[in-house]
Amino acid sequence: MSKNSAPRKIALVAMLAMAVLVVPTVTSLPGGMGGADIQRAGCTCHGTLPSSSVEASISGLPDSYNVSETYNVTVSFSGGPSTDGNMNLGGFNLWASDGTFATLDDSAQLWEQNTNEVAHTESGNDQRTWFLQWTAPESGVNVDFILHVNSVNGNQGNGGSGGDMWNRADVTVLGFGDPPLPEVDPFKVLATLVVISGVMLSIVVMYIFYRKNPDSFDWENFAPWISEWLTSTDHKKIGTLYFVQGLFFLGVGGIMALMIRMQLAVPGNDFISQDYYNQFFTLHGTTMIFLAAMPLIAGFANWIVPLQIGAPDLAFPRLNAMSFWLQPVAALLIFTGVFSGQGADTGWTGYAPYVVTETTHSGVSMWAAGQLMLVASSTLTGINFLTTMAVMRAPGMGWFQMPLFTWSILVANLMLFLSIPAFGVGLIQVYLDRTIGTAFYDVAAGGDPLLWSHLFWYFGHPEVYVVIVPAFGVISEVIATSARRSIFGYKSMVYAMAGIGLVSFIVYGHHMFTSGMSPTLRFVTMLTTMLVAVPTGIKIFNWLKTMHGGSLVYRTHTLWTLGFLVTFTLGGISGMFFPSMALDVHLHETYFVVAHFHYVLVGGTVFGFFAAIYYWYPKMTGRMLDERLGVLHFLTAFISYNALFWPMHRLGVVGMIRRTHTYYITTDDFNALPEWAADWNMLISISAFLFFASNLIMVYNMIKTLVRGEKAPADPWGGWSFEWMTTSPPPTPSFDPHNLPELKDANEHVANEPGVFGQMFRRLMVEDDTTEGGSH
Amino acid sequence: MSADYHDHDHPSPWGPHDWGHGAPHNSWSPLVMSIGIGIFLMTFGGLFTFSEFDMWYLPLVIVGIAVIGAGLFVWWRQDMSFDGTYEPMSAGVPFKNIQIRKVGMWVFLMSEMMIFSSLFSTYMRYRQGIPRCDTVFNRGLFDPVTNPDGWQDGVAVTCFEPASHLIASSWWHIAPGAINTFALIISSFTIVQALRWAHKPVGSVDEEVRRKRVYRYLGATTILASLFLTLKMIEWFIGFHVPAIDLIGLHEHEIHSLYSEGYLINNDHYQHHDYVDEATGAHMVANIQVSATLFYVTTGTHGLHVLVGIIGLAYLTFKAWTGAYNPQSAVSIEYFGLYWHFVDLVWVLVFPFFYLY
Amino acid sequence: MSHKIMGIDAYWMNFYGLMILTLIEVLAVGANLGPTAEGIGMTERQITLWILTIIAVPKFIMIAAIFMHLWGENDSGILTLTALFPAFFIIIMVLFIGLTHPDAGIGLPDWCRPGNYGL
Repeated sequence: MSKNSAPRKIALVAMLAMAVLVVPTVTSLPGGMGGADIQRAGCTCHGTLPSSSVEASISGLPDSYNVSETYNVTVSFSGGPSTDGNMNLGGFNLWASDGTFATLDDSAQLWEQNTNEVAHTESGNDQRTWFLQWTAPESGVNVDFILHVNSVNGNQGNGGSGGDMWNRADVTVLGFGDPPLPEVDPFKVLATLVVISGVMLSIVVMYIFYRKNPDSFDWENFAPWISEWLTSTDHKKIGTLYFVQGLFFLGVGGIMALMIRMQLAVPGNDFISQDYYNQFFTLHGTTMIFLAAMPLIAGFANWIVPLQIGAPDLAFPRLNAMSFWLQPVAALLIFTGVFSGQGADTGWTGYAPYVVTETTHSGVSMWAAGQLMLVASSTLTGINFLTTMAVMRAPGMGWFQMPLFTWSILVANLMLFLSIPAFGVGLIQVYLDRTIGTAFYDVAAGGDPLLWSHLFWYFGHPEVYVVIVPAFGVISEVIATSARRSIFGYKSMVYAMAGIGLVSFIVYGHHMFTSGMSPTLRFVTMLTTMLVAVPTGIKIFNWLKTMHGGSLVYRTHTLWTLGFLVTFTLGGISGMFFPSMALDVHLHETYFVVAHFHYVLVGGTVFGFFAAIYYWYPKMTGRMLDERLGVLHFLTAFISYNALFWPMHRLGVVGMIRRTHTYYITTDDFNALPEWAADWNMLISISAFLFFASNLIMVYNMIKTLVRGEKAPADPWGGWSFEWMTTSPPPTPSFDPHNLPELKDANEHVANEPGVFGQMFRRLMVEDDTTEGGSH
Repeated sequence: MSADYHDHDHPSPWGPHDWGHGAPHNSWSPLVMSIGIGIFLMTFGGLFTFSEFDMWYLPLVIVGIAVIGAGLFVWWRQDMSFDGTYEPMSAGVPFKNIQIRKVGMWVFLMSEMMIFSSLFSTYMRYRQGIPRCDTVFNRGLFDPVTNPDGWQDGVAVTCFEPASHLIASSWWHIAPGAINTFALIISSFTIVQALRWAHKPVGSVDEEVRRKRVYRYLGATTILASLFLTLKMIEWFIGFHVPAIDLIGLHEHEIHSLYSEGYLINNDHYQHHDYVDEATGAHMVANIQVSATLFYVTTGTHGLHVLVGIIGLAYLTFKAWTGAYNPQSAVSIEYFGLYWHFVDLVWVLVFPFFYLY
Repeated sequence: MSHKIMGIDAYWMNFYGLMILTLIEVLAVGANLGPTAEGIGMTERQITLWILTIIAVPKFIMIAAIFMHLWGENDSGILTLTALFPAFFIIIMVLFIGLTHPDAGIGLPDWCRPGNYGL
């Protein structure tokens, strides 16, 4: 460990340095952007070097062209060896980056297939001036002209082309409108940011390893440490891995959101082209839902559920590891499109038939494949958690003694587990359509695009509840602890969650009101969607009553919980506009929808997660988070968050369309937005940056306290569920399997006197005196 | 006691586990298998792009499958030492005293049910939404005045052509499917027999007899499952030859595979000898891509489940051959059996609705 | 597993039953049911579908009950409930996805069906 370790340390540091050096070089992408692979070597020129004695000129082109207008162009040259009386005088080649040429006489010819390149003919060899026509393109892009001319001496001297001279002239004709800003490659920006984040992640991993024991920073110690993380089946380690993944992709998705907002900050912007914009909002949605929110849920579930029910681990630890490791690989598949410049451009909903047409980017196949793996991951997670919660509760813990967070994970996993096969089958259909060429969504062959919407939303609607219901659980835990009393209406909370879970399967049609779906189904889902407000309202009032009956302690997690109550209620109210079919037709595909689901997903789920992070971080790491930084985080984030999403409601009502890459402000068209919409969009964009930055405070807080934070006691907040009974952080296995904790309920008769369901189950259950157990 | 729960008792995440307790076991298998699945899905997308085949991806696809296999091998290597001494039992309502793994298996089957419901919903939707080919044919030849709904010679109509039109057209055509049905039912039966023999109390049966019975029954199940897939391939791609047997008045003839009959996912000019107008000799051509897609993907998904079953059965047979199954560890056969019976159940629905109706 | 049905081992009995039912299925498809169908005012295809569906149900139950041990064991009751748990969600899926094709009776007019224009 003494002398030997020095070179190894150097090797590790060298690897780090290499990684840092590699980052700036990640700028080249296959395909590139915007005419980078123009063939500029179009000159079969005479002579080797350009000669300044030859002067090429091109006239007749405007400074900036009009759409599809035809211009007469004159190409000529002077100087060089070309003199009257020579056998030949000269030749030319003219290339334009866009538009089409036409010849006027037989002195010039178009290149085969290339209507944007023109050259002299043999009969045009005796001229110094040629006349052409050029028709401007329809797009407004700038057009580059490159002219090569030969001045020839007519085979005097040593014959052939010796003694000939040539030169070149470049002209740029501006497109209509303002001259665009210098072109940036958004994908390069994103890819670079992703790689930088990855490198930073590995630096952080190495730094954490270094901090653990600075003296043993070498390969012999690093290899077992990292392989322990890569192979672990311990629910706490896997939970931590989920967190790392979830927070990483929360950042990636956030960066994409910022680029979208940069594009939308001013009207008519062209920072991101339409094509790239499509890919950005697709990957933003997919990343945030599947790669950020779901892993964060799974992270909390992994960490907290076994602790809360008093289980030593999950029922199937190795399957648990499998569900985690499917996720980063799936993320790689989903992001292959980014690195190849061909990302998925279908929206996170991937509507058919566009998703299976060949005009989509090739990344869509990988997007579907990656999500298939996520489906497999969620299915395994579902098996694991449902089984664990059903069979491994500590002695004395009946269903109605389970903490509400565990209940929320149970309901969420049940919804996810039963709905995600529909999505999986849909994805398999899309994947097969795109690979072996099946015809599920081939409209020409009779395929029905609505089927995809049905399968997707059969999963998709439970899915959005899957990401919000765990936040309900978190809020219930936090608010009870902070109010220093038990939750008000425990049973109604449970039934409300179960009700949300059940109803979520019947309401999905409200995503498809404008799709031409069966009118009967539209009516049914309209009514059931309105029904969702009932259990959700019950929960809100229970939380309010819990605060009313208790005395609130204002910790950071309490603040986030209060923030959640405000924003989630607002989001819920805006959600009540959509079930009404008539109103939905107006609001469909507008920013009102964007505002609504960001209010419930960010203001609900993400705020819930922040509360959970501040609440359980001491339990997970054994370190207290800095409360002052936490309050700062809350205040900045809450204000910027509302400034970010609240104006979107108004923009949506006046008709700003979502999923379009820019918008225009004019006064004469009723489709266009009013002038003030530009100001609001600017405010939204600025707030987006503030919101992103404010969350970095939390990341800083987490890293800072991890390194030198105050040691956390077993129960810093005064919670009373099982997880607060073990040390912080808990040992492995979390509880001794042969000496499990026992739940002592003050109202023991509740557990011992089963209700209707309990009596029914009890008749069906296997008796205790059966020695062999279940069967045989 | 608690000293046993530490991870350092398990020196290698590649090797066999000590199953004496429920502590976390490290394993490379999940990571390796995930990477394999990723490689497979990615390279398969290169192998076929919108039905264009690119052979250069084939080695990579095989690499993907090999990596999955390697992960599976690690998984099984760790599993071989499991002898049932630590079979965790459920506590609490409502699964009290039932093995945890059995509950997990049933939960898994729930998701399988949803998968096949989705496939069947897809089938029902198309089956209802697209008119049947023989209905279209019976409308008769197109005439702008008298029969505007009719079909025209050589103009493809989109219609639903169930595979049963070919399969249920003669006893010979239906034979592979029918034999498969019996094969699956027999295999369901052999696997419960294996379970029964593994379960006989110690002492009531000679251990060597038990070992032989269990691995032979499991082996028979494997063979029947392989027979299922073989017959399916014959039915889809190969076809078979019926020899002449004068004794029972059998004529020599060829039974064509679905492939050679043109029942294909990309066939938009499908013709069948039934769809000929007798008066004019006009052929009705049909775009049957959707019907063929539904048939191949639904029965193919079921076939994939059989394939997974074969892989699992191969492992079980091997483990039974080493004599690992006894009354204590017999439940493992039962868990696999649940999956296998479920595959059989699905066939009970797939067979009538895709092969017969 | 030592249950007996009519004096015969349950697995064997189940096996025989399944074989016979499958045979009936195959025969029902091969047989000429046209005259019978006309007698009760149905097409041959309809009557075949009914026979197949009606036979599939007992086959389904027999496999689940005997082979999957959902009958006669002490854990059968609760596991049967578990197996039936997805029933609600399957019904919703079949109703909402399988049976709501715009063409399906209650749906949209002819002009917005896929496949209506000979597509």
